[in-house]
Amino acid sequence: MRTIVPVIIAFLSGMVMILAFFFDPEKSILGELEQNVLSWVTIVGGFTLLLGVVSIFRVNLIAVKRRHDGWGYKLVTLISILAMAIPAIIPSKLSPLFGTGTDSIYDWLFNYLDAPMMATMFAMLAFYISSAAFRAFRARNTEATLLLIAATLVMLWRVPMGEIALAYIHPDLPQAINTYIMGGINMAVQRGIIIGAALGAAAMSLRILLGIERTYLGK
Amino acid sequence: MLEVLKIVAYTILICIPAAVLLYLTFKTDDRRYLFIAVAFYVVFPVVVTISFPTSLSPESITLYEAVDALPDSSTVLLTFDYYASTLAETEPMSRAALHHLFKKDCRVLTVTTIPLGGPTISERVTRDLAEEYDKVYGLDFVNLGYKANYVAVLKGMGSSISAIYPADNSGTPLSEIPMMADIKNYDDIDFIYVVADNGIVEYWISIVQSQYQAQVGCGVTAVMAPKIYAYVSSGQMTGLLGGMKGAAEYEKMVGHPGSATQGMGAQSMAHLFIIVSVISGNLMFFIDRKRGRKRKLS
Repeated sequence: MRTIVPVIIAFLSGMVMILAFFFDPEKSILGELEQNVLSWVTIVGGFTLLLGVVSIFRVNLIAVKRRHDGWGYKLVTLISILAMAIPAIIPSKLSPLFGTGTDSIYDWLFNYLDAPMMATMFAMLAFYISSAAFRAFRARNTEATLLLIAATLVMLWRVPMGEIALAYIHPDLPQAINTYIMGGINMAVQRGIIIGAALGAAAMSLRILLGIERTYLGK
Repeated sequence: MLEVLKIVAYTILICIPAAVLLYLTFKTDDRRYLFIAVAFYVVFPVVVTISFPTSLSPESITLYEAVDALPDSSTVLLTFDYYASTLAETEPMSRAALHHLFKKDCRVLTVTTIPLGGPTISERVTRDLAEEYDKVYGLDFVNLGYKANYVAVLKGMGSSISAIYPADNSGTPLSEIPMMADIKNYDDIDFIYVVADNGIVEYWISIVQSQYQAQVGCGVTAVMAPKIYAYVSSGQMTGLLGGMKGAAEYEKMVGHPGSATQGMGAQSMAHLFIIVSVISGNLMFFIDRKRGRKRKLS
């Protein structure tokens, strides 16, 4: 029963979405049903976010209580969750500092703490990419050499300084890189990947609808 | 000619410290010399403003022309599908798009599929630009905010926006917002301008463009741009802005040079430095290999 009911729900939900595609949503009952299913999905999605927050809070709280390794960091996580969540949950009618509007505490914490920290983490990539390029990007064989030449040309083409330098060699060179490397070789490969992934997704969806694939039930 | 001389000067500037630092990295196997070099080439062009003329790519021209061809007072859905980590690349795109849309008196509907900061970023950027163009919230622009599960949100908005978003980002019911009176679903939206740093952009194509025939154009991070070429070529995507360069191109077209245009100097220097480091890394690799062979033979 614990397996059959979720499989039936998945099958019916999927069939509603598939069948509704072929009917006019305003003239058929399926359209209304589809809209209801989509509303439920957004509501369930909201609850899964809540579940995630509760879960991370619980796990970290236990670790702090039991003084596990690195409990200090976990305490910072807990304080951060509360500092962001509490002012955001309190209605902004009480004070403009509450809620998620402009000039609220949440807004300030996001703009001046969260955003710079995320940007810093992302910016670190520049250092690691340079290091990796210097140490590992070697012309060891023909394929690697071709990749190296293509990458160098694209990197030059993507910045104004490089573009001018390329145009000095030949005025049509920057456009040729866009046409033949990006719009030619790159696009052909990307299309293959996209079509392959789409076929895989369709096959997986069918397996879920028919109840063959049950890993989402933890099986 | 002046541009070429400038490039030669900057290349010498790049090559000399780069050669020293790369040699030290290679000899000592200490990556910190390389990190110093990267920091220098990113910070230097910001402190000493280095600028080069930005040329326009056909993909960004297509996007600009598609937006420009919209009749005045059209309704445009602008998405803020990006995290704060990629603000340097994506926010200039949103700002340039808003300059263009507000100049054309378009009605702008903003939406985000990113829970972490998405609504905050869209609120901040849109209100900032709206103030500049004297636009009124509820009449000229509306921020719908975030709703969980983007696939359902994108699909649901095709039938009824108010069913998915009963209220805007600040909690005002859509029925009380004048601008939303005649915007029911994608049929009432003339253009969808997606700015994204993740795979959501493909859902805007597979769900919204393919199933509802909406006109979709996008601005994405440089790392995502190669994938989107396939959709631009098939005509499913109307134009593309790729990374900070794409943002700088759009800024140039709308006549509002901003942070992307300023960032081109730093990006140019960093790219050239990486190219120099790849070439020198390979040179050292081949010299080492040759020496190794000689040693083996002797």
